[in-house]
Amino acid sequence: MSDVDFSDPATIALLTSALEAAGVDGVEIEQPASGLRILLAKGSRPFVSGGSKPGGRAATMVIRAPMAGRFWVHHPSWPATARNYPRPVTRMDVLGFIRVGPILLPLRTAVSGRVEKCVAEHDAMVGFGDSLFEIEPHS
Amino acid sequence: MRKMRSRTVQPARRFETVLIANRGEIAVRIQRACRELGLATVTVCSEADRDAAYGKASDMSLCIGPSSAAKSYLNQDALLLAARLSEAGAVHPGYGFLSENAAFAAAVEEAGLVFIGPEPSSIATMGDKISAKSAMMAAGVPCVPGPDKELPNDPAVIDQIAAQIGYPVIVKAAGGGGGRGMRVVPNADALQETVALTREEARKAFGSSSLYMEKFLQRPRHVEIQVLCDNHGNAVWLGHRDCSMQRRHQKVAEEAPAPGIPRQTIAPVGAACVEACRQIGYRGAGTFEFLYENGAFYFIEMNTRLQVEHPVTEMTSGFDIVQAQIKVAQGEVLEISQDEVECEGHSIECRINAEDPVSFMPSAGIITALDLPSGPGIRVDTHIHAGYKVSPHYDSLIAKLIVHGATRAEAMAKMRDVLARIRLDGISTNIPLLRALFEDDAFIRGETDIHYLEQWLKQRSAA
Repeated sequence: MSDVDFSDPATIALLTSALEAAGVDGVEIEQPASGLRILLAKGSRPFVSGGSKPGGRAATMVIRAPMAGRFWVHHPSWPATARNYPRPVTRMDVLGFIRVGPILLPLRTAVSGRVEKCVAEHDAMVGFGDSLFEIEPHS
Repeated sequence: MRKMRSRTVQPARRFETVLIANRGEIAVRIQRACRELGLATVTVCSEADRDAAYGKASDMSLCIGPSSAAKSYLNQDALLLAARLSEAGAVHPGYGFLSENAAFAAAVEEAGLVFIGPEPSSIATMGDKISAKSAMMAAGVPCVPGPDKELPNDPAVIDQIAAQIGYPVIVKAAGGGGGRGMRVVPNADALQETVALTREEARKAFGSSSLYMEKFLQRPRHVEIQVLCDNHGNAVWLGHRDCSMQRRHQKVAEEAPAPGIPRQTIAPVGAACVEACRQIGYRGAGTFEFLYENGAFYFIEMNTRLQVEHPVTEMTSGFDIVQAQIKVAQGEVLEISQDEVECEGHSIECRINAEDPVSFMPSAGIITALDLPSGPGIRVDTHIHAGYKVSPHYDSLIAKLIVHGATRAEAMAKMRDVLARIRLDGISTNIPLLRALFEDDAFIRGETDIHYLEQWLKQRSAA
C-alpha cells in the first residue's frame, strides 16, 4: 500500500466527504511502516492521524500547520485543561491537532526536546504554514 | 457608478461571504466590490503572499499552500477546504488561475457554494474553440473564415480545406488560447508538416490533439465586446475595447472605445453577442474577442470571466462590472436595458509589470518607494505599497493605471501625465517603455494593429 499524505487537502477532503456521507462516528487511522490499519471506534469523535512538518531555525524548531484548519491544542477526549509550557516531549509525541470537519490531524514532533511555547490559540483558524509550537531540540 | 436595481428573485442563492480565489490587484478589486455590497470577504494566499495587505483587510485570510501556484491558487481541494472552513457562501475566481476551469466551477457548485461566474457547461463550451465557434456561427456572430469543425486526419481533405479558405491559413489547437497552440501556414508546401507539429503540441499542452483551421488575417486589430447577463434571459453589451497593443499575445495597454470604429459598425456585432449569450444561456460577465480588419469583425474566442482590462469599460459605461457579477450570482435581475447603456468619453489602461523594460525579464524584489498619481479621471488598481515584496512566483502584473477623458486625445494626454508622475523604486518595471509608447505617433493616431508593438520594439532595439 502506498503512503498517504495526510497533509494533502485532497486527501482530507476525500476522507471528510466519505466519513460524513457514511455517517461514521469515529475513525482512527494508524500508519505503521508496513501499511495502513483502520479501526472503527463508534461512539468517539472521528480523527485521522498523520505527520507533522517541523521547520524554522536550527536552535529552535517551529512546528507549523501542514494545512488550513482549526488548531486544537488537545484531543477532544482529553481533559480540557491548559497545557503547561515548557514541557519535555519525545519524538512522535502528539503536540496538538488540526481539525477539519470530522477529522483530527495529529501534529507530531519529529524530534525529542522541550516545547517552549504554543504560539496559536486553541480552536483558532490557522492556515498552511502558520506557527503553532516552538521546540528546543535535545542536542 | 450606475447601480443595478436590486430585486432578489432567487433567495436560495443569497450569500453573505465571498471567498476570493485569487491574489494581487484583482483580489483587492473584488474585495472592494464585496465591501461596497456589504458582503464579508475571505482571502486565500500562498506563503509568498502571506503578508499581503489585502489579506489583513479581509474578514478572514487563510494561507492555503506553498508559494507555487500549482500548490496554492491552482489547488482546487485547498480552495474548497478554505471555503468550507471559512463558511463562505460563494467563490469569486477573478481572472487567470481557475477562473475558466469548468471542473472547478462544477466542484464549487457541488460543494453547495455559488460560483460567481457562468455555468460550468458554458465555460466548457467556450473553452473548446471549435464548439465555441460553432455556437457563435449559429447565433450569427461573425467568425473567421474556416469550418467550425475539427480538422480531419486525412491529408487530402486538409489540403482541400486550406485551399477553400485561401492561404495564408492558421492552424489552432481546439483547447488552446492566449496565443498558445497555433501556427501560421503561408502556403501549401508547409501545410502537412505544420498540422502534424501543431497536433503533437496540442496533445502535449492541452491533452487533446483536436485542431481547426482558419484564414490568417495579416494586420488585424484586437477588439472585444463586454457582455453581462443574468439568470433570467436578460443580457446587455457594455461597449467595446481595443486591446491591439500586445507583446507575445500579452496585452500591454487597452482602451475603450476602440478608436475609429463607428457605432453603426459595432452595434450589430454587439447585438449578435447578446443574442449568442441568450442562446447558450450565459450567466455573468463575459468578453467576446474579435479580430478587426478592413471594417469587418471576426470572432476568435469568448473569455468566460472578468477581464484584466474591465476597468476601461467601467470608466466609460459607469457600470461596476464586479458588483454586477456578484448581484447576478445572487440571482438578481439585470434590469438595465441596452437602451440605458451609455458609454461616455474615452478610457485607457496601462498594465504596470514588474519586468525589465528592455529584456522583459521578470523583476522581483522589494518596492522601496511608491508614489501613485491621483486626481479626477485617474484610477489605480493595485495591491502594492512601499515595502511590498514582489514575488517571482506569479504573473508580473503589479498595477493598472486607468484614466478617463472626454476624448481619446484628452485620455492620452492624461495617461502621459500619469506615467510621468508615477514613482516606483526598488524593482524594474515597464513604465519607461509605456512612457515612450505614449509618445508614438501611430499609437497617438489610433492606427496600430496587433503586430505593431512587436515591430516597434524591434525598431527600437535596432536603433
